[in-house]
Amino acid sequence: MIEIENLSKRFGDVQALNDLSFCAADGRVTGLIGPNGAGKTTAFRIVYGLLSPDSGGARVDGIDAASERMAAQRQLGVLPDVRGLYPRLTAREHIRYFGRLHGGEGAALEADIDDLIQRLGMTEFADRLAKGFSRGQELKVALGRALVHRPRNLILDEPTNGLDVMSSRAVRHLIADMKALGHCILISSHIMSEVSLLCDHLVIVQAGRAVASGTPDELRAQTGADDLEEVFVRVLDSSGASGS
Amino acid sequence: MTSTWFTRVGIVFGKEVRDHSRDRRSLLLALIYPMLGPLLVAGGLFLASKTLQGDFRQQHIEIPVIGLENAPALAAYLQDKNVRFRTAPATPAEREDAVRQGRLPVVMIVPLSAKGQERFSVELITNLGRVDNLRVTSRLRALINAYNEKIADELAKKAGLAEGYGAPIKITQTNVAQDANIAVFFYNMMPPLVIFMIFLGGVHLAIDTTVGERERGSLEPLLLAPMERGGLLLAKALAALAFTAVTTVVNLAAFRVFMGMAVASSDRLAAPPGWEVFAQVFLIAIPLMAFAVALQMALAVITKSMKEAQIYLGLLPLIPALPGMVMVFSPLNPTDLTAGIPVLGQMLLINQLVAGQALDPLHVVIATLSTVISAGLIFALAAKWFRREKMFVLG
Repeated sequence: MIEIENLSKRFGDVQALNDLSFCAADGRVTGLIGPNGAGKTTAFRIVYGLLSPDSGGARVDGIDAASERMAAQRQLGVLPDVRGLYPRLTAREHIRYFGRLHGGEGAALEADIDDLIQRLGMTEFADRLAKGFSRGQELKVALGRALVHRPRNLILDEPTNGLDVMSSRAVRHLIADMKALGHCILISSHIMSEVSLLCDHLVIVQAGRAVASGTPDELRAQTGADDLEEVFVRVLDSSGASGS
Repeated sequence: MTSTWFTRVGIVFGKEVRDHSRDRRSLLLALIYPMLGPLLVAGGLFLASKTLQGDFRQQHIEIPVIGLENAPALAAYLQDKNVRFRTAPATPAEREDAVRQGRLPVVMIVPLSAKGQERFSVELITNLGRVDNLRVTSRLRALINAYNEKIADELAKKAGLAEGYGAPIKITQTNVAQDANIAVFFYNMMPPLVIFMIFLGGVHLAIDTTVGERERGSLEPLLLAPMERGGLLLAKALAALAFTAVTTVVNLAAFRVFMGMAVASSDRLAAPPGWEVFAQVFLIAIPLMAFAVALQMALAVITKSMKEAQIYLGLLPLIPALPGMVMVFSPLNPTDLTAGIPVLGQMLLINQLVAGQALDPLHVVIATLSTVISAGLIFALAAKWFRREKMFVLG
């Protein structure tokens, strides 16, 4: 479970997060959606210990992300928006590197790596250097890297960004499988059809604070819109109007 | 299941070494670049030995002349001393041009006024700007001076004066430089070049594993792994240190091998320092390598882009190498104070080793401690900067 409580963060003149609170429960896919610059990535970075909040806090399975960063990170698997691969390492070496940093070793780790390569459909390119990988291949490696230590909680930033139809389907199936296993999954996406397909719970963020939250059906009922994209627009419009 | 701090540092170190051993630029810097300096110095030594050395007294030289018939006694004397003559160009302009362009090493002109005279002047057209002409010119001057003294002695004898009356001071010269010190001069060029390579060997790795990772976007995923930031930077620094050590070994071995080959071409050059001296140079340089890497990491961490880091770190090797270049011409021995100046201390000790002098153990301790402590402080600063949010949040 990922809990965010009254999180605030300022970069110079920019108030990136402004008293943001929400909870991503286990066995559920929570979607954090909002326009560019709304503070989604900043919130994620605080959860995985890259940034410190000015006030408030984030907990992963009850572990404070700021004061017990490493313990919280062990409970987390993260797919950042920028995949950031090493061009001179193979896909398998990437996954092994992060598996070992998380404490994995020996035959057990190798078995986990083989399993991930199989599940993510990476067999064909598992032992090729990452230089020249397609975006889909990069995403699969990054996913393998995030999952190798079997985390209970997953943060996926734009998980199907730039993927073809087949790869997007594969990622959606993976997310559904993880959810079925009771994992907590927190995603951010700009693709409303994907959000609609995947998310059980939505948190709409604007200007660093949560302006609406609930299941897709609850949000549809609140706004009177059938389409999730329309829900999103109406929520932002009303929060903008209330703010002015 | 959690790993220890040492295991995590080892994992990152191993990854960086594996990654960069597949990188053409890192390999070039570690294995090929360190051979270039030694190749140039050894090449220079070889050419200098060929140009300036040899027992010229046994070899004949060929002198272009004008008006030699005006001084037959001088001509006979020179011929007896293995000098051969050829006709020089007819006009003064042609003669000067030929010497200026290096087509002729020297031209000797005996004027008509010398005919039948015991006292006369000769003119030499020389170009001392060309090192390859020095050998012929200096030998010709020496022979004419010797002839001068011989005539002076004969005239003194005729006049009933003591031998040497006309040339009271005779200079005898033993030029040891031609035998040994030319090589030593080149050996003295080694320390600044070794230090230059120490500051260059790990530079690509230092940049690529810090600011490069940030620019590629791979730093953020890496920081998501449960690892201490200081340990992470240390692992990267150790990888840079490993490449620096390889660079230094290749550099020192190349110096020994290439200089050995250059010296083997002549039996009159001083032998280069032995392998054991090179091993000592390596040991003395270890704190310097740590210092260089700490400085590289610190600069790489504070720069905003790889381009900026490359500019700063590309210039960095020149700064410690400059005092070394000065010491090629004006060697300095360490004192308790100068040995304690980081980098300079090692430089002085390496100079001493190359010059074949014994090291004062106190100076070794002082230099090692001061450089290691400085490296530690710089690294601590780099680690502090590495923990800043700015390090991984772009824009």
